[in-house]
Amino acid sequence: MGERRMTGEAGMTGRIGVTGGCRGVGRSEPRPDGVSKVEGLFSYVGDLSVPGMLHARTLRSPHPRARIRRLDTAAAAALPGVAAVVTAADVPGLATYGLIVSDQPVFAAAETRYAGEPVAAVAAVDAATARRALAAIEVEYEPLPPLVDPERALEPGAELVHPDGNVFRKITLRHGDPAVEGSVVVEDSYVVGMQDQAFLAPEAALVVPAADGGVDLWVATQWLHSDREQIAACLGLPEALVRLELAGIGGAFGGREDVTLQIHGALLALATGSPVRIAYDRVESFLGHPHRHPARMWFRHTATPAGDLVSVQARVVMDGGAYASSSPAVLANAVTHAAGPYRVPHARLDGLVVRTNNPPCGAMRGFGVPQVAFGHEAQMDRLADRLGMDPVALRVRNALVPGDVLPTGQVLGPPLPAREAIEAVAARPLPPRLTDDTPRTARPGGRAAGAPISRIRRGVGYALGYKNLLFSEGMDDSSTARIRLALDDAGQPFATVHSACSEVGQGFVTIAGQIARTELGVERIELLPADTRVGSAGSTSASRQTWMSGGAVRGACVAVVDRLLARVARALGLPAEVVESPRRALVIDEGEIIGAETGTRLALTEALAAGPVEAEYTFHHRRTTALDEHGQGDPHVAFAAAAHRAVVDVDPDLGLVRVVALALAQDCGTVINPLSLRGQVEGGTAQGLGLAVMEELVTVGGVVTNPTLHDYLLPTAADVPALDFVALTYPHPDSPYGAKGVGETPTCTATAAIVAAIRDAVGRDLRRVPVRPVDLVDLADRDDWDDRDEPVDAAPAASADRPDAADRPDVVDRPDVVDRPDVVDRPDVVDRPEVVLREGHR
Amino acid sequence: MTTLGGPSTVMHRPRTVGEAVGALTAEAGAGRRVWLLAGGTDLVPALRAGSREPAAIVALRRVLELRARGAGADTLTVGAGVTYAELAGWSLAPGLATTSRVVGSVQIRNCATVGGALGSANPRGDLLTFFTAAEAEILLASARGPRTTGIAAFLRDGLEPGELVTAVRIARPSGPQTYLKIGGRQAAFPALVSCAFLVDRVRQRVCCAVSGVAVGPWRVTEAERLAGEEVDWSTGTASPAVARRFGELAAEVLRAAPPLPEDPRHPADYRAHAGGVLAARAFARCLGPVRREEAA
Repeated sequence: MGERRMTGEAGMTGRIGVTGGCRGVGRSEPRPDGVSKVEGLFSYVGDLSVPGMLHARTLRSPHPRARIRRLDTAAAAALPGVAAVVTAADVPGLATYGLIVSDQPVFAAAETRYAGEPVAAVAAVDAATARRALAAIEVEYEPLPPLVDPERALEPGAELVHPDGNVFRKITLRHGDPAVEGSVVVEDSYVVGMQDQAFLAPEAALVVPAADGGVDLWVATQWLHSDREQIAACLGLPEALVRLELAGIGGAFGGREDVTLQIHGALLALATGSPVRIAYDRVESFLGHPHRHPARMWFRHTATPAGDLVSVQARVVMDGGAYASSSPAVLANAVTHAAGPYRVPHARLDGLVVRTNNPPCGAMRGFGVPQVAFGHEAQMDRLADRLGMDPVALRVRNALVPGDVLPTGQVLGPPLPAREAIEAVAARPLPPRLTDDTPRTARPGGRAAGAPISRIRRGVGYALGYKNLLFSEGMDDSSTARIRLALDDAGQPFATVHSACSEVGQGFVTIAGQIARTELGVERIELLPADTRVGSAGSTSASRQTWMSGGAVRGACVAVVDRLLARVARALGLPAEVVESPRRALVIDEGEIIGAETGTRLALTEALAAGPVEAEYTFHHRRTTALDEHGQGDPHVAFAAAAHRAVVDVDPDLGLVRVVALALAQDCGTVINPLSLRGQVEGGTAQGLGLAVMEELVTVGGVVTNPTLHDYLLPTAADVPALDFVALTYPHPDSPYGAKGVGETPTCTATAAIVAAIRDAVGRDLRRVPVRPVDLVDLADRDDWDDRDEPVDAAPAASADRPDAADRPDVVDRPDVVDRPDVVDRPDVVDRPEVVLREGHR
Repeated sequence: MTTLGGPSTVMHRPRTVGEAVGALTAEAGAGRRVWLLAGGTDLVPALRAGSREPAAIVALRRVLELRARGAGADTLTVGAGVTYAELAGWSLAPGLATTSRVVGSVQIRNCATVGGALGSANPRGDLLTFFTAAEAEILLASARGPRTTGIAAFLRDGLEPGELVTAVRIARPSGPQTYLKIGGRQAAFPALVSCAFLVDRVRQRVCCAVSGVAVGPWRVTEAERLAGEEVDWSTGTASPAVARRFGELAAEVLRAAPPLPEDPRHPADYRAHAGGVLAARAFARCLGPVRREEAA
């Protein structure tokens, strides 16, 4: 675990007046579901079960593009044990749904547009019967040539993938004088592959038909109310008859923002009159939700010889796949962040997000920013190289400061410690150099690759980035919370918090209670299940819930306290002006209501004896504006900055990379829960590492070739080094307690920093992520294969001081433990009698 | 938990090889699709995904005779039910132990068995690569009696109907052995390219198999021949130049071998190159000169 420095933390807690005691704002409150998740007892959505429920499965198109000539479900429906089969013909309401644009069919009807698109769904007595029924559905496809190259989909005369056209959105941003350029120019193209959210608990939902003709759904989603709107529209039901409750979620990362199986399950529940559990297996999960957009990007940066950026030009083409999902909003992020967190007087930033017959892409942690951050940071390194400048110094020189004008024309509000972030990571200590004692597990490729120390090349890379917080472009994505303060059965005060905020692991389950404790001075807080009986909390995305739903909880708590104090003031016969604004005279402190001026001292329990106090509050962020036709406006509510420094070791003979060390300095605002913050930044960093060196959904002709966790590799504890983390805690003036969302920003910079470090190690231009082994190996030069400098394995002089290898079978996956001596490979040098197999033994 | 495979699946739980073979024969004779279950790392996910729907399953965990391993004067015998975890610490079989330690994750190594590796016959299988280099013999049982076949023939022809792998036999090591592999991560990854390397100082030869390039584990015979000639067998060492040449020859052999299907992320060219690098490294590890300070 790296050393941690929390700048400004002590000062902060003083200023905000924390009264929540040991479990309030600013404390490391552990997750209430942490232990049950580790012990395997947590109930995930796929574990839900009710007596008599049916099991539902989905039939998917194997073709990226095909006409459906005939679809016959009669044989499937006639199988014993099959309760219902539904297709596009059975959708009573809207035939399509979507987060922004309703263009995605509930089931493909006449044409399928991506491989994996749902065509039908079946409910049966068990999953095996449902699968057999899928096989019995007769579909006659006429495969059509798929359009899978986004550039070709843009060509004039290209066939239309969908009646709405092949372009989801185009943004042409012009800022400053397009003719002005600096004398130092760097220009290049970059490619980002398709990453998947790959959350560990696959999609599932339990749907129960209700007596009133409606449905009750238990779902794992990022946004209950958006799901409800889309489900109700497709079912042709009023929203009041579609009730959702959040079920246990095992990760989301953007992949649960879109509706997947919810409507299918509801159709089957209504068709059968029985509870239905619909679920995906791992392969379906990879096919069923939208992915991170692959991108092709071109950048031209110009600067003065002194190193001041003059202009940035960029063209970003993103592949949105077959349906819109959140593509238009992702593109806005990509374009408005394309110049990075730097002062750029002149910008021409063009973006297109294109429809193809590839799998749909949508929200994923970072939402369009990791792609452009990889590009602009590669450009900054290249520019530093051209200028003969230190890459950190170039970034420091150009880093945005509050008051600067962004390429959108938006004036950057405080705080944004971008310069501090890059300076902070550059100041962190570097890891030790490799020696002959470096464990084999800590070399590129792990123990099994056998990299000789002498061949390993080390590199260091930096990246600075920033990411918008909350929804942009004029969206009023408000959040509502309801608080009730009452006495429990034991006569002690306790509060219930009701919010529809979806807990996907980000930590609202601790933060809601911490805020309520701080504001109410009450120790016992109960968080009610998130459901649609309370107003929308908005989506758990865009780093927004701590700010938005945290703000709603705080606002509702403040209203509860105001009401309670007013009631107390009235009951005590205090003057009218105190009843009017009771906070002037009364405070809640340590379970008591105290009024110094009025001489009041009343236990909270007594105050609540007159009955509970309840309040609801809806939090809105400041209004933003849409982009005009030149990409100008005030589109983003706020930003957070982050910088990573990566240190990597590369085995250039095999093209294998090990990330040795990662330092992160991040703009976090006030820290509400340090433990939860650490979890978020470590996870965000790991996901950025995945995109840098391993995570890629590979499609061939529009068909995903690796939809399993055996073939789509995720980073493990052996691949992600301990994070040396510095939190920069400048409070934001508009957010609750000055907090900022933290989950996405590190994902934007980790990828870029790691690739920069690999470039530094091998001296190659790397223009594509994930970096593949073949990208790092010179196949023409076959001179450097041998092990000539590697000392041969030998037994330690005294084996007694090293633990016996055979006794520790588990250590090999853990690079941080002492390496097992390799002597067991060589029976001729091991000094234990039973393995003496020397020459002549036989 | 319902019965594996669904309520209609028949589950056999034999206690001896004879009973297991009897169950297999009966099911095969009745024309029913039968699968063997040992560690379940392959079968259970397939059952959950619905990609296999067996009429019958023969569970082998209770067949204790399959779970033994032993050493004779010249050979080592490993029961089909022995797990990777059990092999990982076996000091008599250093190459097999090295191979077993880098298979999958701890959880997989605790469940998965030698027989399962042979039954699944993944062309990139770690153990199959080692067995190919070790020229292992596969011991089989059926109602017709026992049978022994070489690893190459086994991988080519597979099991006969109603047949069960009971054990694998390899020669006792007579020199250094190692196993190297690469994949997408630091640990717990399936092999992309791997190399098993065994030195036989008695017969003065090396045996080397590479997987991940050719259709299956591939012996790099021309390179092995060079090694036999160039190694100084009095010391069991060879110069770095020989190691380099060995790797080059291995890559050449691999390029000429019938290839696995193309992999969009890892072109055949790269995999052949990587096979050569691993072969050279394995060679140097087993036959390189001793450490300078020791020599002095």
